[in-house]
Amino acid sequence: MMELDSVKLERALQLFAGIVGEEHVWRGEAARCAYKDAMPPRDPMSYAPQGAVAPASVEEVQAIVRIAAELGVPLWPISRGKNFGYGGSAPRIAGVVMLDLIRMNRILDVNAELGYALVEPGVGFDDLYHYLVDNGIPLWLSAPAHTWGSVMGNALERGVGSTPYGEHASKVCGLEIVTGTGELLRTGMGAMENSDTWQLFPYGFGPSWDRAFMQSNFGIVTKMGIWLMPEPEHTLTLTMNLERIEDLPAGIDALRPLKLDGTVQANPSFGNVVRSLAMRTPRSAYYKGTGPMPADILEQARRDAGVGHWKFDIRLFGNKRVNQVNAERVREAFASSVPYDFVESEWNRGEPLRNSGSPLPSLAALGVVDWLGGPGGHLTFSPVSVFSGSEAWKQYSIIRGMYEDAGFDYYGGFTAGQRYLNHINMIVFNSDDEEMIVRANRLFRNLIETAARNGWGEYRTHTLYYDEVAQSYGYNNGALRRWNEAVKDAVDPHGIIAPGKMGIWPRSYREARS
Amino acid sequence: MNRLIAGALVVLALLGALGGAAATAESEAGGRTLYLERCGGCHLKGGFATRVLARRVPAGQAELEQREALPAAYVVSAVRHGIGSMPQIRPAELSDADLAEIAHYLDKSS
Repeated sequence: MMELDSVKLERALQLFAGIVGEEHVWRGEAARCAYKDAMPPRDPMSYAPQGAVAPASVEEVQAIVRIAAELGVPLWPISRGKNFGYGGSAPRIAGVVMLDLIRMNRILDVNAELGYALVEPGVGFDDLYHYLVDNGIPLWLSAPAHTWGSVMGNALERGVGSTPYGEHASKVCGLEIVTGTGELLRTGMGAMENSDTWQLFPYGFGPSWDRAFMQSNFGIVTKMGIWLMPEPEHTLTLTMNLERIEDLPAGIDALRPLKLDGTVQANPSFGNVVRSLAMRTPRSAYYKGTGPMPADILEQARRDAGVGHWKFDIRLFGNKRVNQVNAERVREAFASSVPYDFVESEWNRGEPLRNSGSPLPSLAALGVVDWLGGPGGHLTFSPVSVFSGSEAWKQYSIIRGMYEDAGFDYYGGFTAGQRYLNHINMIVFNSDDEEMIVRANRLFRNLIETAARNGWGEYRTHTLYYDEVAQSYGYNNGALRRWNEAVKDAVDPHGIIAPGKMGIWPRSYREARS
Repeated sequence: MNRLIAGALVVLALLGALGGAAATAESEAGGRTLYLERCGGCHLKGGFATRVLARRVPAGQAELEQREALPAAYVVSAVRHGIGSMPQIRPAELSDADLAEIAHYLDKSS
């Protein structure tokens, strides 16, 4: 891997300090410690950065990029750095300077009538939630399991939430980007001076580029439009526990037509028993042995906790009468498929938001990393599955078997898109147990290879596994990867923005490697 | 020193002492506000960190505000380096000055 020249690095940091102030530049150990992967599957210092700079404005980002381009100093942009399980605030390689955008935290616009927000990278889900509530704006955000992270960062990484707007990438409308040469670019209708439809019409004129800046290193996104859901007048939640492992396919097949025709617009997630138990208490409450929990002990733990082998919520949002009609359709579909009843609850506008389906600020989900007693590390493996019970079952059976052969509990679930399932599963390990970490990494590499052989691609992965996953998208001798790198060389000619992100390496790195 | 000047000095000293007490109270209030705002998501009752710490520290001290001894230097180190399952919090998101106020607030001996 290419080293960063220390003289050049110091020169860059001095110039960056002239732009943002010395107090927003960090060097050496301070930078390495601040931006290390907090839940690492490898020695975190082996891929910690050599410096960091935190600008507060677009103009400062442009000035930093121009200097970085001139000196050939690579930058690794992050928004808030809370993408735990996928690398957190850490870069792919050590030889970079972090471009920390957390100080750019303005909510620039919220339009209650048209249902959108325009935000900077540092705006967290908590920030946007409080802004909407404090100002009495009748819009709901969609958020992932924990709300510490960036609204923009999560959407650009194609994160998922649990409202009808839960496929966050699909709700992005209009980006502002600083290019690898320090130019400022706006996508879609933002390319027109004084356009008033930047956050309304996502396509613009000619090629649409928003999606090219998601999970990519083609530019640094400094503003993002995101659609927000009008507050519903009513929500109706149907919760079901499937008591047998083998009930999963029937549950998935019952849900598919309801997702496809729009009866269910949110993204229900079938979470397995370990996922349910880990939210409550560490594993030692049930089992103190090593290796995966024996089936009889897991079954007893499940019964004691009153959870299913699979648990899911189907939440309906909108008009009360429509929700009641759709709920009846949901009940009918599942009654003919599985022998369980839904537990139901309702929320009406004006009532406290708890249990409404509006994501409330919470970090509770982080608690699951303590499943093995901690300190908790985790690697998240996230292949996409066909929305079919038999295909999901095949994927689950193979992957669960691999977890257990490697000595881990299978922790995971299937989150429903409209035509696909995100099979998000997690290897939880203790980050101070070297033997366990070796096993976790071996399992992760085997999962990528096995998935690729079966035609299952990951929708997202840890920074350290970008290359392996990108390689699995190898159709026609890696045509897509070669295309991505051709674009990279064209739009970032100095190769300074996030080298190696998603397996996309600038020309200089490819040449050094070969 | 004549009595007038001496009296004035006593008054000034009293005002100074009162000002110091007010400043300390203000700092503690600021520290608590910052603590609730920046740490409360995990470290209040029912939070993830409180649940984890309940298994590791003496009974009744899982909430940081209830801890018998929590030296400021220890808090600063835990925040900047991370500890256990808690990720590090970097200076760009929590300034050294704000962290110092939080650490001072939690340090019962300060």
